[in-house]
Amino acid sequence: MFLAAQVLPGDVARRVLGPFADQASVDALNHELGTDRPLITQYWDWISHFLTGDLGESIRNRPVSDVLFDPMVASAKLALLAFIIVVPLAIVGGVVAAMNEGTFRDRLISVGGLSATAIPEFVWAVLFILIFALGLGLFPTTAQPPDGASIFTQLKYLLLPSLCLVCTLFGYIARMARAGTIEALDADYTRTAILKGLPQRTVIRRHVLRNSLLPTIAVVATQAGYLIGGLVIIETIFNYQGIGQTLARAATQKDIPVLQSGVLLVGIVYLVATLIADILYSVLNPRVRLGAAE
Amino acid sequence: MAKDEIQRQVDAVRAGRSELENHIIDEYRAGYIGRREFMRRGAIVGMSLPLVSFLASACGSGDKEPSTGGSPSTKANVSKGGTLRTGLQAPGSDLDPIVVNNQGALAVLSQSGEFLIFSDRELKPIPRLAESWKPNADGSKWTFKIRQGVKFQDGKPMTAQDVAATFNLHADPDAGSNALSAFKGVLSKGGAQATDDSTVVFELEAPNGNFPFNTSSDNYNLIILPKGFDNEKWSKTFAGTGPWKMEKYTPNVGVNYTRNPDYWDKTRQPLPDRNELKFYEKEEAAILGVQGGEVDVLAQFSPVNGKALLTDQNVQVIELRASQHRQLHMRTDKEPFNDKRVRQAVALLINRDNVVKGLLEGKSDYGNDSPFAPVYPSTDKSVPQRKQDVEKAKALLSEAGKSNISVELRGWNGFEMPQYAQLVQNDLKAAGIGVKLNFTDGGTYYGDAVFGKSPWLDSTFGLTEYGHRGVPNVFLDAPLKSDGTWNAAHFKNKDYDKLVNEYVAALDLQSQRTAAKKIQEMLLDEVPIVFAYFYFYLTATKPDIAGVDVSAMGHVDVSQAGTKA
Amino acid sequence: MTAPGQPAPAGATEIGTASPAAVGAHAADARVATKERLALLRRSKSFIAGSIIVGFWVLCAIFGELVVPKDPLASDPINDLISPSGDNWFGTDKLGRDVFSRVITGARDILIVAPLATILATVLGTALGLVTGYFRGLVDDVLSRIIEAFLALPVIIMGLLVAVALGPSKTTLIITIGVLFAPIISRTVRAAVLTERELEYVAAARLRNERTPYVLFGEILPNVMGPIIVEFTVRLGYAIFVAAGLSFLGFGIPAPAPDWGLQVADNYGVISGGFWWPVLFPSLAIATLVIGVNLIADGVASAFER
Repeated sequence: MFLAAQVLPGDVARRVLGPFADQASVDALNHELGTDRPLITQYWDWISHFLTGDLGESIRNRPVSDVLFDPMVASAKLALLAFIIVVPLAIVGGVVAAMNEGTFRDRLISVGGLSATAIPEFVWAVLFILIFALGLGLFPTTAQPPDGASIFTQLKYLLLPSLCLVCTLFGYIARMARAGTIEALDADYTRTAILKGLPQRTVIRRHVLRNSLLPTIAVVATQAGYLIGGLVIIETIFNYQGIGQTLARAATQKDIPVLQSGVLLVGIVYLVATLIADILYSVLNPRVRLGAAE
Repeated sequence: MAKDEIQRQVDAVRAGRSELENHIIDEYRAGYIGRREFMRRGAIVGMSLPLVSFLASACGSGDKEPSTGGSPSTKANVSKGGTLRTGLQAPGSDLDPIVVNNQGALAVLSQSGEFLIFSDRELKPIPRLAESWKPNADGSKWTFKIRQGVKFQDGKPMTAQDVAATFNLHADPDAGSNALSAFKGVLSKGGAQATDDSTVVFELEAPNGNFPFNTSSDNYNLIILPKGFDNEKWSKTFAGTGPWKMEKYTPNVGVNYTRNPDYWDKTRQPLPDRNELKFYEKEEAAILGVQGGEVDVLAQFSPVNGKALLTDQNVQVIELRASQHRQLHMRTDKEPFNDKRVRQAVALLINRDNVVKGLLEGKSDYGNDSPFAPVYPSTDKSVPQRKQDVEKAKALLSEAGKSNISVELRGWNGFEMPQYAQLVQNDLKAAGIGVKLNFTDGGTYYGDAVFGKSPWLDSTFGLTEYGHRGVPNVFLDAPLKSDGTWNAAHFKNKDYDKLVNEYVAALDLQSQRTAAKKIQEMLLDEVPIVFAYFYFYLTATKPDIAGVDVSAMGHVDVSQAGTKA
Repeated sequence: MTAPGQPAPAGATEIGTASPAAVGAHAADARVATKERLALLRRSKSFIAGSIIVGFWVLCAIFGELVVPKDPLASDPINDLISPSGDNWFGTDKLGRDVFSRVITGARDILIVAPLATILATVLGTALGLVTGYFRGLVDDVLSRIIEAFLALPVIIMGLLVAVALGPSKTTLIITIGVLFAPIISRTVRAAVLTERELEYVAAARLRNERTPYVLFGEILPNVMGPIIVEFTVRLGYAIFVAAGLSFLGFGIPAPAPDWGLQVADNYGVISGGFWWPVLFPSLAIATLVIGVNLIADGVASAFER
């Protein structure tokens, strides 16, 4: 990551001061920022600081931790809202589709979900803004709520962008849930339970759901990582200061400290999410717990 | 009053005026300049408003100057109080007055900070922190009287020492100010001296008839700062002398202000209770913002993206004629453009109607391949406007033996530039010039902004954006003079340099126009840069809002704005 | 569709004895399986539907330029944003260009970039997967960590970075997407290889003292083709999606190409003025193409599941 950023063309101080500033000013700033030191020194410096929690300073004179913190929280809020909506929705959709396998209802959910995922986020965003924000005037056109807004207002602002994310995530998760449910429905233990005379709802709850949830959990957690990348587009359209926009800006401004730490942070989030997925998976799946791990 | 009486008064007044001022009065009387321009010129050289008004009516011969388009600054009838929200392009830099180099940031500076002079929508210099100013005989030394009784928002009084310190700071090469480029050849460090608490004398490097504009809001970094300026402290309070006091600053999101109760200008006390600035990274979001009612004012939008606003009944649009433009440069020292016939051909191939009427929806003036925009009074309007002529272009190209060439056009993806470039590409195709577009982001295009390390300055064919300025001096100098630091066309012409010096030194309009005519004609012939258009500055507000004062530079003054009463 | 981090189901093979006859029979089995799969594909509704859609766009990509009524690059800004009419079926865009022509010809660039990127990713991913799956031990550990690190990188941000560093172009797009998708494919391949390497024919090959590259590419590879093909079709859909997204942000296929993502980015600013057509049609194009590819991927996955 460090090397990749170094390859980026352009003089850092020049980026900060702009093309019309005087060369003397640029040299002065470069010296101050230490960008004229050898690469190795810079890298070592950065690593040692990072590990102690000091993420250094952005070229825009703010500590990197400040630059990244608020956007990180902001993106997390957006992602969280999206997940809260999509996970139950998709699971229900998937289960219903599985239970009605092959019928029109199944087709509707499966194909519908598939199509929704295929439509790029920016299309959803534009559509929603047009219909709900401008047309019906129910929601604001951007996602950044004013300062000190109540939870309610914040929700209002975040709803449209979350819905875009929901649309892109739904099909996927529903499909996993559907596949898992079908498998579970077919399984021996289910048949046994039905033969034993248990009511359908109990069967579903106790046996089927548990197993259909397994692949779903795995998917949800990994989607968290993919989400960070997809957030850039939504954040750009909705003018939302999340980590996606922040990193995109850092890339074009060649703000290396922010970029390095930012991408690292995003990576950590992804890895943590995957880890949680793995843990959940093993907790929910007795077979994995008993058998050898992969 | 009897005519004789008036004449006697005028004579009396004139007796006390300097040679320069009398020259301007003569121009006016002879009809060389219209009333508005007379008032403006008079103001530039430091004549007070009442004096100028008196002379204007006493010696008047009618208004001959075209209006700049903005409505006169009469007070609108608005209700007091409330919050005014303004959408701005997100600042592209830190909000340190030394570093600011973009429109979003400069608008922020001028909320809580103030200039010696404010360059208004009609390009007239309005005294703010300076009460009055006068040049010496040849314009190489300017004396400014600084307003007394003004306080910074932290309570300290503002004096001439603060003014001098501010100017010397920006003129100091070690400080690295963005304004250094504006001061090059004009003012150097130490050139500003406070001779007492209320007077500052500027000793210039060369005579300059337009110097007051260097102290005005046109030179947008020059808000007056307390001496001993420290950005660490500044960034917490933005404490200038202006009508708005910073309440909260959230980077990349916006700034909130409240009224400054101790603001010095009793005629311009802020009407709204609060002033909220909202930053938008993408123009599309800003346009949606004003349509959706999220902001009351959108400080600038481009006609290309803003077509929706232009046709929306629920939005009011203010148009200001301006000098913002794009420079399509061709390197005069490299193939294929080292032959001026090829450059002329390119200029003749461009369909300016398409750009002005189509791309810019008519919200633009035509450019005639020189920095002299129609909005400038010193522009000589008698020089004929270049029009598209494909046949002539083809003839020139075959004469030069370049009937089938290809060239790469560099630029960056901002504003309407990618679209303009695509139009240029199509126009040039008609005569066998194949253009390949290589557009990147701004940082990559500008590179290190020095010759040899910058696609902007090194490319054979490139497109660069230039923002509005109140006078064309900067445009004539840096991109076109032999030693110009922004001379992407590598245009080195001694005669041109001489003409520009003539123009800059000229103190009266007539001499400026004479020099301008020569420059305009020379540039039409040599055409190192195609100036195809100077587009208007557009502001959008909700229909029930009035009193918003904008300048083509990008300053937004909402202190007198509010909902219509 | 399979999850990004999860391996696709491996093709089933029979465990046979160590006799040469069995090995031969194994190869014959494989051939039969292929024939069966093709037949399954031909009957799969989603495969057919998907192929029709994708086929349409491929035709547009190849013949589009010859067939469209107007030059997709010809601008006429005075006649910009005209609504769909007899003259312009899909209306005109901001620069007065015919949207219909641009939508049809826009298929070409995306159908060059996405498949090439996916092929690159598949080749890289397969090689990595084979190596990490077969060797295990230190090689596997080290490489896998590196691969996981790459997996954690958000694709769009990296795409942006590369585009800024190298300048946006079709080539940078192909390389970026190719390199960034390779890790996921390698995980799938690795999982499949893990199963395969325990099989008898691999041991047999080793006993015959075959060199490792042969074992990897000659023996194992043909037997993991199933999951690889499935991965390819799945990733293809994503590649189209990501390429459109990057072009939308301005870091993909550069102007004035009639790329669909670029068209949406150029024209969505005026949508609130009621100018919906320059945005809707390219969006539908992207959507239908991705759906088509996904349908194919579905069909292929089912065929290989049996």
